[in-house]
Amino acid sequence: MGIQLKERYEAVGKEMGAVGRMKLAMLTKMSSTAAADAEDSAGNLKLVDDAILQLRKAM
Amino acid sequence: MRISAKLIGITLGSAVIVTGLVLSLVVEIRSVSTGYTHILEGPARQATEARQVQVDFKVQVQDWKDILLRGENPQDLAKYTLQFHEQEAKVKAEARALAGRTEDPATRQLLNEFLTADDALSARYQAAYDVYLNQHFNFRAADALVRGQDRGPSSLFDKVVEQLDARVAAAAAAEQAKTIRQLILILLVVGGLFLVDSIVYCSVLFGVIKRLGQLKAVSDRLAVADIEGLAIDISGHDEIGAIGDSLKGVEAALHELLAVHAH
Repeated sequence: MGIQLKERYEAVGKEMGAVGRMKLAMLTKMSSTAAADAEDSAGNLKLVDDAILQLRKAM
Repeated sequence: MRISAKLIGITLGSAVIVTGLVLSLVVEIRSVSTGYTHILEGPARQATEARQVQVDFKVQVQDWKDILLRGENPQDLAKYTLQFHEQEAKVKAEARALAGRTEDPATRQLLNEFLTADDALSARYQAAYDVYLNQHFNFRAADALVRGQDRGPSSLFDKVVEQLDARVAAAAAAEQAKTIRQLILILLVVGGLFLVDSIVYCSVLFGVIKRLGQLKAVSDRLAVADIEGLAIDISGHDEIGAIGDSLKGVEAALHELLAVHAH
């Protein structure tokens, strides 16, 4: 399942707080619960990584 | 395809159809105008000319009668003789010109028969005129030679006029039938295109209304954070699809918010 994806959400939570996780969910259109159920596919990982980069740029 | 692109396409399609309709009607009006001009310059004009010849022929006969009635006076004799010959020449010239112009073989045949009969009548008039002068203005003897002789050519010319009038009526009827046929064709083609355009328009319109309804239902649930079991299934590559996609982000963010608060 989406272990790597879930780890990324948790990392964002630590880095940017609850608002960061919400924004990440909004950008990826996938909540952390949905990410945990999703596959750690290259496409999903890239989607989340790109969204994190976008959030970091916006900070 | 974007909704705006579809609407622009439908509008342009309608504009092309309307332009096509206007152009077709302009072409049709020109065609009708040309057709009736051809009738007016052809058979109708010839019918009018034929009536003029008919009148001139009757004037010629009247001049002959004036010679007989008033020929004892030398001045009147000279006057009516000149008028008679001028009228005679005029009738022949007009009939020949008409025979040369008419495109209808039957009318031309009648005109040629008239010209032959008129030549024979001219010879009889000349013989009667000679008798009139030689017998000291004996109008009875002169009249006896030509009495009723003008009826043959006159009758032939009546037929010419009838023939030309019939041609005018037939040409006008043919033109009218052609116009009706072409108008029906234009209306069928343009009506068909309008029907297709309307079907496409209605299809786009009902699609947009239906998907806007779905969008509103999702939006209403998101507005009250009622996201349990919410499935946003508003796809498509248009503006509504893009809004639906954005609402998936909002839904995910709400889920995340609830998850954060749950911990």
